[in-house]
Amino acid sequence: MTVAIVLLALLGGAWLLAVIEGWVTTGRLRPGAPMLSGLAYLGRESIVPRSPDRVFFEAAPVLLLVVAVLGAAVLPLAPDLIIADLGTGALFVNAALAYVLVALIMAGWGPDGAYAMIGGWRFLGQLIAYSMLIVMPITAVAMRAESLVNTAIVGSQTSLWNIVYQPLGFVLFIIAAMALAFRSPFDLPTAEGELAGGVDAEYTGVRLAVLRLARLMLVVTLASAATVFYLGGWHGPLLPPWAWSLIKTLAVAVLMLLAGRYLPRIREADLMRWCWTLGIPLALLNIIIVGVLILVVP
Amino acid sequence: MSATQHYVLLLGIALGTVGVVLSLYCLARSLGLTQKEPGKDVPASSGVLSRDPVWGRYHARYYGYALLFLAFDMEMAFMYPWAVVYKEVGLVALLDMGVFLAILFLGLLYGWSQGALRRQ
Repeated sequence: MTVAIVLLALLGGAWLLAVIEGWVTTGRLRPGAPMLSGLAYLGRESIVPRSPDRVFFEAAPVLLLVVAVLGAAVLPLAPDLIIADLGTGALFVNAALAYVLVALIMAGWGPDGAYAMIGGWRFLGQLIAYSMLIVMPITAVAMRAESLVNTAIVGSQTSLWNIVYQPLGFVLFIIAAMALAFRSPFDLPTAEGELAGGVDAEYTGVRLAVLRLARLMLVVTLASAATVFYLGGWHGPLLPPWAWSLIKTLAVAVLMLLAGRYLPRIREADLMRWCWTLGIPLALLNIIIVGVLILVVP
Repeated sequence: MSATQHYVLLLGIALGTVGVVLSLYCLARSLGLTQKEPGKDVPASSGVLSRDPVWGRYHARYYGYALLFLAFDMEMAFMYPWAVVYKEVGLVALLDMGVFLAILFLGLLYGWSQGALRRQ
């Protein structure tokens, strides 16, 4: 039962995001559009390039989808609405999301196309830039919660949400999450203008449908992670716990989508330079600030 | 539920997702096959096959970052257990990790001064 509810919430979140994205792009609110285009993808030809690495080519979209679903499976919507409340939940989210890199390099390598391959390797550079900014803020969250269990992390924010306790960590985490979900302005592996779609370029038909669904779900999973780690998860007045989780997750996802609409795509060299010369010192500072706060303010 | 049951459940969800995707593929296939036409399966590169082999070796121009990344990634392996017991151990934990992080951060500064933090 829990499994069905959480997975449906994930699907619903992906659907809502697609509707909102279409709304801000075209100015028209069409709730049926994601389903229609999904059906249209089913009817289209799904072409395989001429000399593919078939295993990588087929595995990439599936792996990306599995990763997004597994990440969401360890994040709580409400105190008892969680598929698997692992003892190492926060670490598991990390571990699952590390496979985004594997999926994208597979998607780049598989079709034997120049643009796709460049997109795939680009994401490797992007991982080196963003990944420390995912793990270091989570460490600071775990320090406060004294646990890696995701429900305990939410429990530690009963009196004060982490976004107030460690705002620096929240900002770094959101930026890194956008880079991890390769949303604009960090969409280097897909970069429509310069790479003709990059890792997406060789996928058509039903395979592209799976890939796009996986990307949307990845955003929902990351927004849910930000909610659990920083926005107090299910805490909130009046409304039932699950409603608060959904509202916050949606708000973070929309924030991630909208922020990217007004920013130009960043160059990879700049992304790495900013992440390492500014991001990582700030992330270390965040850990030290939280460490001192925990000792000084009981 | 025990930890083992959790992992079995997660494995089941992963396999279930794969199953859903496979059934989608079967559904799409039942709606019609891809027609074989010449030139259709050329990878997107302006209609011509790329001049050089794609599966070649590329210059990793960020190798300076990559080496530093290894050091920091190892450090994270120590950070997670440290973070869990941090409040319990208290000031000693802060000093222990502070010294460790300071050495690591000096390494970052040194690399920066030597020009590791730029695209080569």
